[in-house]
Amino acid sequence: MTTTPRRASRREQHRVGGTGAKVTTRNTLIAYAFLMPFLILLVVYHTWPVIFGTYLAFTKYNIISPPQWVGLANFRELFADEQFWSGLKNSLKYILIVPVIQVIAILVALLVNRPMKGIGFFRTAFYVPVVTSFAVVGLMWNWMYQQGGAVNTILGFIGLPQKGSFLNNPATALYAVMFVTLWKGIGYYMVLYLAGLQSISPELEEAATIDGASRIQVFWNITLPGLRPTILVCSLLSTISAIKVFEEIYVMTQGYPAGSTYTALFYTYSRAFQDYKYGLAAAGGIIIALISIIFGLINFRLTRGGKVDA
Amino acid sequence: MLEAGRSDLQTDTFAITAARLKAKRRQRRRLTDLLAYAVLIVIALIMLYPFYWTFITSIEPTGNIYEAKILPKSVGIRNYAEMWKGTTVPFWRLILNSVVICTLGVTLTVTLATLAAYPLAKMRFPGRDLIFYAILALMVLPNESGLIVNYITTIKLGLLAQTNPVLDAIRQYMAVVLPGLASIVGLFLLRQAYLTIPLELIEAARIDGGSELTIWRLIMLPLAMPTIAAFAILEFVAYWNSFLWARIMLPDKNMLPLSAGLLELSGTFSTNSRAVMAGAVITIIPILIVFAFGQKYFMKGLEGAVKG
Repeated sequence: MTTTPRRASRREQHRVGGTGAKVTTRNTLIAYAFLMPFLILLVVYHTWPVIFGTYLAFTKYNIISPPQWVGLANFRELFADEQFWSGLKNSLKYILIVPVIQVIAILVALLVNRPMKGIGFFRTAFYVPVVTSFAVVGLMWNWMYQQGGAVNTILGFIGLPQKGSFLNNPATALYAVMFVTLWKGIGYYMVLYLAGLQSISPELEEAATIDGASRIQVFWNITLPGLRPTILVCSLLSTISAIKVFEEIYVMTQGYPAGSTYTALFYTYSRAFQDYKYGLAAAGGIIIALISIIFGLINFRLTRGGKVDA
Repeated sequence: MLEAGRSDLQTDTFAITAARLKAKRRQRRRLTDLLAYAVLIVIALIMLYPFYWTFITSIEPTGNIYEAKILPKSVGIRNYAEMWKGTTVPFWRLILNSVVICTLGVTLTVTLATLAAYPLAKMRFPGRDLIFYAILALMVLPNESGLIVNYITTIKLGLLAQTNPVLDAIRQYMAVVLPGLASIVGLFLLRQAYLTIPLELIEAARIDGGSELTIWRLIMLPLAMPTIAAFAILEFVAYWNSFLWARIMLPDKNMLPLSAGLLELSGTFSTNSRAVMAGAVITIIPILIVFAFGQKYFMKGLEGAVKG
């Protein structure tokens, strides 16, 4: 009994390779010829940065002369650098965006999952910011955030206090940038949640409704648990990109005003490309990577590994 | 007779109650639909207004530039004309750079992925599974120093050397696209697509003496076309929108793609944001066109990419 499926899977494996395809030297060479261009570029631009970047963190390097081994000196300099800590703090603050963006994306996905006329238009509209370059998005919001600009006019119109220039005020700048990340990201997560919603069997929800469950009960007990794998993936993606936030900072504020939007990855960028301290920047990169991994694990625990029946 | 009448009456009352319930439910449904539309419209306004605002401000020659507006106070093409003239870098050059970079990038990325996915899906050779899993593992490895090391690699490869204008241009275009050419997501998408192609087709071609390259070209590519189209659209959007790498690395501002050049111009045009807005509108238009026509493919590619 137990051997049958195993044999089948073995046959399957054979079938993937092709029956006539014996493992010959000729075939192997052909296979590697197909793979080679891809593999070479992958090694040069993906594998090498991981290896060399790690090595660089323990060296002093200026591109012209070969790297000099300095041990943990870069890490010591990093931990003594107040700018690094404040960058890290801002990156961690950025994680605040994760629950907000996920809750809104789930609600929006529920809305556009309704079979209503013209729903396709809304799905497309919410996705337009996702396909727009951060260069354009950042500039647009920079203009709208000006003193007396569109955002302030609208705030005044709905009776809220006007804030002056959002990006010149250290108290508001980081949150203003976070709102742009939120605005640009909702459509992306909405599409993923939509796919998640459509994979939940409608029979289950129907059965519960017939058994007298209210809509809210159906949502809490069937829809939300069904979405758990998607929630895991999405919150993981958004936590990691929050810690590594960079493009919006680069376009909108460059870390100003008063360092209030200076994030961890922006620190490594400016150490490398403004101060030419490549080793120090690489050390910063390693610390950011470690923090991302830790938060990834925390996330995994919080969403219980994305198991539906947890 | 009497019994039947009573039961008729009963069914009638049932029918009436049922109809009433249905009407009530329909009414409630219409009410929630209305509420849903209201919320959707508010979100759509928040999502689309910045684009609309940028557009109407870009066609407005004068007026209060940054305030919220519903219609332009006046209409003219002055801002577009100024953008077109540019200052240091002519605008047509930025568009040309973007077109070259996108064409090169999309063609090469798609070609490399369609080639590399073939042996991984349909051939048997030592190291196949090892290579596949090594590539997947690479996806989760931390790569925070990618920008820095790739910059160093680009310099060391001599791609930023300046000798003569034509060669420099070719080298710098290559410097922009090379780091992104090996797309792991693309490899995964195409391998999935190839796996669904029946092996009988390939075997028949092999028996007929078709070379692997012929099989790839005449069987795999046509049958995987929907996935290839989805991937190509994803890549087009990615190349058109990318600005960071080019702006950090390129020594020659004349080589910048449109979105990177826009940031450059927002510095030089700091006193004339309207002209930059005109540039922003021009930068978005191709993406909106591609997205509008290829939306179905795009979403398919996106979902596939995340599942991978």
